[in-house]
Amino acid sequence: MLHIKPILSSLMRSKSAPILLLLQIILSVAIVANASFIINERLSLMQRESGYAEDQILTFSVYNFDPAIDNAKQNQVDQLILRSLPNVIDASSSNMLPLSDSGWMDRYVDGPNPDTAKSTPGFAFYLGNEHLLDVMGAKLIAGRNFTADEINSSLDDSGMLALVSQPLAKAFWGDESPLGKTLYQGEQAVTIIGVVDKLQGAWVDHENFEYSVIQNIDFGGNGSNKSYMVRALPEHIPALEEAIRKALHAENPNRVFDNFQTLSEIRSITYGNHRLMATVLSIMVVLLLLITALGLTGMVMFNIQRRTKQIGTRRALGANKRDIIEYFMIENYLICIVGGVIGGLLSLVLGQQLMKLYSLPMVPIMYPIVSVMGLLMVTTLAVIVPATKAANISPAMATRSV
Amino acid sequence: MFFYYCDLAWRSIRQTPMLSMLMVLAISIGIGITITTLNVYKTMSYNPAGDRSEVINSVQLWSQGLDTWDELMANITYTDAINLRNNNELSLKAATYRTGLALQSDNLKIEPVLNGVRVTDRDFFRIFSVPFLYGSYWDASVDLRPAYQVVISQKLNLRFFEGKNSVGKTVFLNRKPYQIVGVIDDWNPQPKYYDPLNGAFNDAEEIFIPFSLTGQEEFDVWGNTSGWKFEPMLTYKDRLVSEKVWIQFWTELATDEKKQSYLGWLTRYVEQQRAIGRFTDTAKTPAESVQISDIDKWLEDNNVVPKDNKILVGLSLLFLSVCLVNILGLLLTKFLKRAPEVGVRRAIGASRGQIFSQYMVEVGMIGFIGGVVGLLWAWGSLTALHSYFDMDQSVTGLDVSMWFITPLIAISTAVLAGIYPAWVVCRTKPSVYLKAQ
Repeated sequence: MLHIKPILSSLMRSKSAPILLLLQIILSVAIVANASFIINERLSLMQRESGYAEDQILTFSVYNFDPAIDNAKQNQVDQLILRSLPNVIDASSSNMLPLSDSGWMDRYVDGPNPDTAKSTPGFAFYLGNEHLLDVMGAKLIAGRNFTADEINSSLDDSGMLALVSQPLAKAFWGDESPLGKTLYQGEQAVTIIGVVDKLQGAWVDHENFEYSVIQNIDFGGNGSNKSYMVRALPEHIPALEEAIRKALHAENPNRVFDNFQTLSEIRSITYGNHRLMATVLSIMVVLLLLITALGLTGMVMFNIQRRTKQIGTRRALGANKRDIIEYFMIENYLICIVGGVIGGLLSLVLGQQLMKLYSLPMVPIMYPIVSVMGLLMVTTLAVIVPATKAANISPAMATRSV
Repeated sequence: MFFYYCDLAWRSIRQTPMLSMLMVLAISIGIGITITTLNVYKTMSYNPAGDRSEVINSVQLWSQGLDTWDELMANITYTDAINLRNNNELSLKAATYRTGLALQSDNLKIEPVLNGVRVTDRDFFRIFSVPFLYGSYWDASVDLRPAYQVVISQKLNLRFFEGKNSVGKTVFLNRKPYQIVGVIDDWNPQPKYYDPLNGAFNDAEEIFIPFSLTGQEEFDVWGNTSGWKFEPMLTYKDRLVSEKVWIQFWTELATDEKKQSYLGWLTRYVEQQRAIGRFTDTAKTPAESVQISDIDKWLEDNNVVPKDNKILVGLSLLFLSVCLVNILGLLLTKFLKRAPEVGVRRAIGASRGQIFSQYMVEVGMIGFIGGVVGLLWAWGSLTALHSYFDMDQSVTGLDVSMWFITPLIAISTAVLAGIYPAWVVCRTKPSVYLKAQ
């Protein structure tokens, strides 16, 4: 503690170097704090469980281009063919693919009168038959799945049933069980018969990502472009693509098959931007720390060279090696802590700007604090090497030279 | 004198290889990161419309009811598209959406492929200045009375007709014969500004067919369909009469007067539609219910440049400033070390200006080397972005302008960092150092 006063006064005497150091630390803290916050946010987005057996689901699309094809009938035939293929656990048509960044979104209301009814939050709207839940590998935690004789073929059929995801149920009914409740889509009544633990939608950045519904409509009949999901063990999937093409093509050649992808692949593409952002920012943080450390080492080295005489004199007057190292370390920590405090404040300001401009969440105070700690460690390493070198200078050498 | 200074600078750089390398490393990494993010930003924010940016305008309508969407949609309904197409005041206008059809030719050896298809009006080609290799767009009468005509890309022409003039020949789309009326030349604007909604950096469609076929052919819509009220679309007819929005509408409005007069027409249109029970959001006046966007606004509104990119550019500029401060410190270190030498030179007659310019040359040289190395970093990282992150080639190609911008940024950054140290060193008093010697 005794050393601080002389260190301070010597810092004040040649201000430019410490000011530069200070500036560098301020900027580094501001960048590192914000970057690591964004990195962490993206990583936690990417780590969310989807609720699907991702690596067991192969998806693809079929486009039937012969105008004479009866799409509804073809869909039934195709699904039977898919389920009969060797190694296929189950298969189903679907109106949209999970995590794919494209799909259907809808909402129900809780009464038939549109003026008084309360609307559910928007949800991903899956249409499928009794096989879909199995294919997805999603876990039913209450109620039951559809049965084969309950499946509709069109949105205006009667007897609509739905499975809802647990988060959606929680958001709309709280702790009350949704089973048996009736909701409406226009004048169409829909009865909730099951709750699925986890069933993410299509848009990974959407606030309603965890809200989903499966309704009992085998969608493959509408339109000529259809999506299918096939479930199989991961080791069987590579061979499956060819088998599917062959089997479906043999049944009807007037079609085009496309977009063979496992759900894991879809997930990795959809989260690509987040992964990119996290990677780029991580590289930036590492490089920044590296540059700061190198620059600091260079400057301390020079400082030491300049003060060789002074160090020699101090050593001659009885200071031991530890005192010399301590001197440089304390000098460094003084600058770091002042820089860290200012930098921490600046990073909060920067974070606030980012929040205002790009509606990012606010940077928690922990990030600047951890960044300053990290920088303290890096600068310790950067200073300790030249300082040790300086301490090893023999007093005789130091006082003799320039 | 300049070359002499260059020589001196080079010697000085070689004298302190470690320090010089540190500086080059710092500046090159800073530049590398900045140029990478700037390059991606620049290509993404490029406006392919160029001079015509203000002339090409898309039309948006607030067709929703009260308390539904809180923003203007990029798409409009089929009903509105038809009504806007029928307005003869406009010189050029085109409704458009994307679909997909299976393409075959008489050449049965080539397997059918599913292609993205643009459904639009003939004016589309004129509004977006699409270049033609053979033939041209279809006749104006086709926009009124549908005909099975098609414009194909040069690439398809090459595949199906060996690159020969195929105008008049037939291709099959979903097994129906379409007559080729034109083959367009190489055309793939990036970003895909006429439809950024389906991926702003996707390739342009290779097949264009008349919008007037929509009603009878019932093409699937490959793109977003949004609705604000419950309307089950069981048949294609339901889609056509619904309030769902799924069509983009483009016009050419060359002058401000034309824009004003068109806005006036649109306002009257909204009033007219209100009278028959549409456009039910009465919280908005008819004039507030219409908007035309030129390409600049359109690209901005459709978030063609993701906000992540803007954040990255900002952070990398901050990063560069850290490098700048770092170099400033290192330069100060280096120059002060040479103060005795400067003292001698000053004593034997060098002016302050000469000393200053000598050091600035040295700093510039370090900046230049840093810039070149930084360019290599940038090239490397862009290549990595392309191969590991599947980023589009059009975004990760190093823009030619960067070859000039990079050294410029590098040198000016270094010079900026060098001014203070050089100034400090040229103020050195000769007497102090002469005495010391």
